[in-house]
Amino acid sequence: MVTTIIEVVITGLLMGGLYALIAVGLSLQYGVARILNISHGEFIMLGGLTTWSLYTALGVNPLLSLAICGPLAFALGFVIHRTLFKRLLDTAASPGVFESNSMLAAFGLMFIIQNVALIAWGSEIRGYSYLTTPVHFLGTLFGANRLLTFGMALLIGLVFYLFLNLTRTGKAIRAAAQDPTTAGLMGVNINHMLALCFGLGAAMAGVGGVLISMCYPVHGVMGLEYTVIAIIVVVLGGLGSIPGSFMGGFILGLVGSIVTFLEPGLALVAYYVIFILLLLIRPTGLLGR
Amino acid sequence: MAAGGWTRREFLRGMVVTGAGLALGACAPKATPKPAKDKIVVGMSRPLSGPLAVVGDSAFRPVYETFVKEVNDAGGIHVEEYGKKLPIELLVYDDKSDVGTMTRLTEKLILEDKVDFLWPACGTSFIFAQAPLANKYGYVLITAEGGATTIKDMLPSLPYVFVTLSFSDWYQLPVLAQLLSKKGAKTAYIAYIADLHGIEYSGVAGIEFPKVGIEIIGLKSIPPDMKDLSPIIREAKAANPDVFCCFAYPDQVMPATALSMELDFNPKAWVGGPCVNFGFYQTTFGPAAEGVIGFTSFNPKQSDAARALAEKLYTGKPKEIQDYWGHPLYWAGLEVWKQAIEKAGSLDQAKIRDIIATERFQTVLGETWFEGGLLSKDCHTGEIGQWIKGEYEVIGPEKWATAEMVYPKPPWPKG
Amino acid sequence: MKPGRAYLQKLGGPGLTLMALALLATFPLYASVYSMTLLTDILMFVVLALSWALFSAPTGYISLAPAAFFGVGIYTSAILGRQWPLLLTIALGGAISFCLALLVGALTLRLKGIYFAMFTFGLVELIKHFWLWFEIRFTGTRGRFVAVVDQQTIYFTMLASFVLLLLTTHLIRRSRWGLALRSIGECEEAAAHIGVNVNALKTITFAISAIFMGAAGAIIATRWTYVDPYIAFNPLYSFMAVLMALFGGMGHPYGPVLGAAIFAYLEEVLLTRFPYYYMLIFGVVLIITVLYLPEGLIGLMMRIRRRVVGGPDAPA
Repeated sequence: MVTTIIEVVITGLLMGGLYALIAVGLSLQYGVARILNISHGEFIMLGGLTTWSLYTALGVNPLLSLAICGPLAFALGFVIHRTLFKRLLDTAASPGVFESNSMLAAFGLMFIIQNVALIAWGSEIRGYSYLTTPVHFLGTLFGANRLLTFGMALLIGLVFYLFLNLTRTGKAIRAAAQDPTTAGLMGVNINHMLALCFGLGAAMAGVGGVLISMCYPVHGVMGLEYTVIAIIVVVLGGLGSIPGSFMGGFILGLVGSIVTFLEPGLALVAYYVIFILLLLIRPTGLLGR
Repeated sequence: MAAGGWTRREFLRGMVVTGAGLALGACAPKATPKPAKDKIVVGMSRPLSGPLAVVGDSAFRPVYETFVKEVNDAGGIHVEEYGKKLPIELLVYDDKSDVGTMTRLTEKLILEDKVDFLWPACGTSFIFAQAPLANKYGYVLITAEGGATTIKDMLPSLPYVFVTLSFSDWYQLPVLAQLLSKKGAKTAYIAYIADLHGIEYSGVAGIEFPKVGIEIIGLKSIPPDMKDLSPIIREAKAANPDVFCCFAYPDQVMPATALSMELDFNPKAWVGGPCVNFGFYQTTFGPAAEGVIGFTSFNPKQSDAARALAEKLYTGKPKEIQDYWGHPLYWAGLEVWKQAIEKAGSLDQAKIRDIIATERFQTVLGETWFEGGLLSKDCHTGEIGQWIKGEYEVIGPEKWATAEMVYPKPPWPKG
Repeated sequence: MKPGRAYLQKLGGPGLTLMALALLATFPLYASVYSMTLLTDILMFVVLALSWALFSAPTGYISLAPAAFFGVGIYTSAILGRQWPLLLTIALGGAISFCLALLVGALTLRLKGIYFAMFTFGLVELIKHFWLWFEIRFTGTRGRFVAVVDQQTIYFTMLASFVLLLLTTHLIRRSRWGLALRSIGECEEAAAHIGVNVNALKTITFAISAIFMGAAGAIIATRWTYVDPYIAFNPLYSFMAVLMALFGGMGHPYGPVLGAAIFAYLEEVLLTRFPYYYMLIFGVVLIITVLYLPEGLIGLMMRIRRRVVGGPDAPA
């Protein structure tokens, strides 16, 4: 009995760590840059497929791919914000107009990135086997790859959290999120910060994709599925809050594993019940402002 | 956002603009007059984007692309009526994996483009939606991906529809049950995807397994979109069955395989599909794929024709794209189609339909014919496959087996 | 009112309106069967986008629920279509959607901005997964065949619901009701202070817009032949409605109509002419539209009209 509980809880937490990591980026993009980035999942897909290619063609260790995909996704995101979203921001009459226009543009991005990926990789399922060995832990078994991805997700989340709270750039980002006008007056280069944020969000998605590919098959049309998960987690945790994203991820993971244990058919129903209930009871999320 | 009044005049004027615009828009793509017959136009609505692209692009697409190339390289299909060979021209539309779009595009192909032939959409539910349409307009439809017991019941009312793919009780699971019971399997745990495919497979297993003395000790449905299957694998492991079946798609079977390794769940038989039958299963799991069982319909070793087909489809291409279950059956379907046209000597759908429904053909499977709209199960050159020494062997029925079933399966490799 | 109007008024008028309606109504007489099928689909998207805008354009609430009401209509048709007459099925599809929307509206009154959008998105997924589970658990299968209706009937019922929706939109916008709705969009607190019953108004408008989505679903299901929860409750249809309305522009009630018609037609062309690059081209068009036509197509048309007619005719 105790073992079963431990298994269910840890299984949920392991999944939750991954959920959290892919949500952090989206949370940042919406919380600071006010862009509901529907193309978030496409960056995850790019990360996953790149890792697969590197691993199968060149034998590059997926952990090393983290260091490759993260910066690449960052650069892509940074450039996209600098060219596309900055222009939208400059021309938008009001924040509301910017939000709906940027969502529209993100849809466009989603279509473009997906199509390019289908051309480059095809739509076939891609998978590789990495560290799929059992590890004894707390009296039961867990996959080594899952423990590893969980550890990496926590580590990346923590580093990112410290970056936002301790470094000068991080503080500038938070200032830009709270009050862009005042932050601008205080000498923060707002446009630069927003592009940085969007890039960092994309980088998070990219490394999330690398970690996902260690446990799950990846393919060109997987993006939207993960975007949806990220949106649920972000709403659970509160928009713009990194600890919130982790909390939301863990809750979603736990609910998933408990309900799957009891009645797998209802697992996704449970996700959305929690999501909707939370919106009704506390719309700003658990740790939202 | 919107402000300001909306007067009656504006309303009326808007109506005019809209009406004219809509009418104009719909009129614009007028059908072009049919040119003199110098090719056979084949139309298809395929999921080139959206969630089903994953299935369609690895299943039927490599087959039809290879087939069309081969036929056209040989000059085309000889049609008596025109006294010459006509090459095939493909007209492929993207249905975005959306049934509404697929039905509309199918009607466009038939009514607007007036294609000579219709080739199938992808997926069981898509076939369900497309079959009545094809039948209504009198177009022969030889299906590819998808097939189900439900459609078997419908086929008598759909004389123009022919199903090629083998499925649960046609005749996979009875063979699987026989194989397992012969080796002494007593218990089975079944996880199935919560859709028509999963329901039918688990349902048929629920009939066939007890018949041969295999008790089903666990039955769990998996909703599509669900990511983490570990509670199910853990439960299956706790139940300690002889046989574990995962009647689901690659999105579930791949993680379920990885989880079985991670949780050291090694039943005597591990059955999964559709997924295990694809080459990418073996390239993903490497030595761990050893002994895993799936569905199949042929092996290149069986005959010269089989070897020739494998060469045509797979030479110079990565192993990932191999599919020993679907590809040979789809190919046979296309061969039947071509031969039926040649026999009919015309492109007349009704004539061709009658020929397909009543006559026998020589295809990669050997003698091939349809029975009540289904590819006869006597034409299948295999039902159950297993990865043995990196090769996907046919292990049942015995008549077609290329290798002896490995039971119990070897343990998952360490490290 | 505005300088351009007087000139354009001469072009408009009841005669031309009747002609336009007559054009649409007699369309099946001279157009090919497929044109009618395509036009039915375009009209369906027009109904979705316009009914979405009925509530969302004046109030500024982004709803992602169209797929839920659309799906309810589809399933009503799938379950009852074999026994009930078509019109009754459509009416019931609309009525059930109306009730569902009342319930949802009453529950979500306090949600603002992005949270409302999230909630409505979650609603579609919740219904889809619940229904999937329910059907498998209790009816032991998934998916249903829908009673097929002939093309002309589908076309005319879709056209009728479009005309009804136009009338409804028109009546609401011209009334005090529409004015009150716009006041909610501009400042909800202020609207409440001047005596607008904000909650009741939002809920009832949301529910009315749902009627048409449900009806559209019930009608189009008869053409789809086979449906299952994944087909019926496809969030794509929510996104489509929003994209089309934004694409057309919400500065004017005809924006969504124009947006949906052009968007749907463009999609058809891309899917058939450039199937392998459909998404790529589509994405580029979307981004260009957002970048260069921030007010949507209707904004562009108004700008052109201003140039042609002259005068400071600001977008309505």
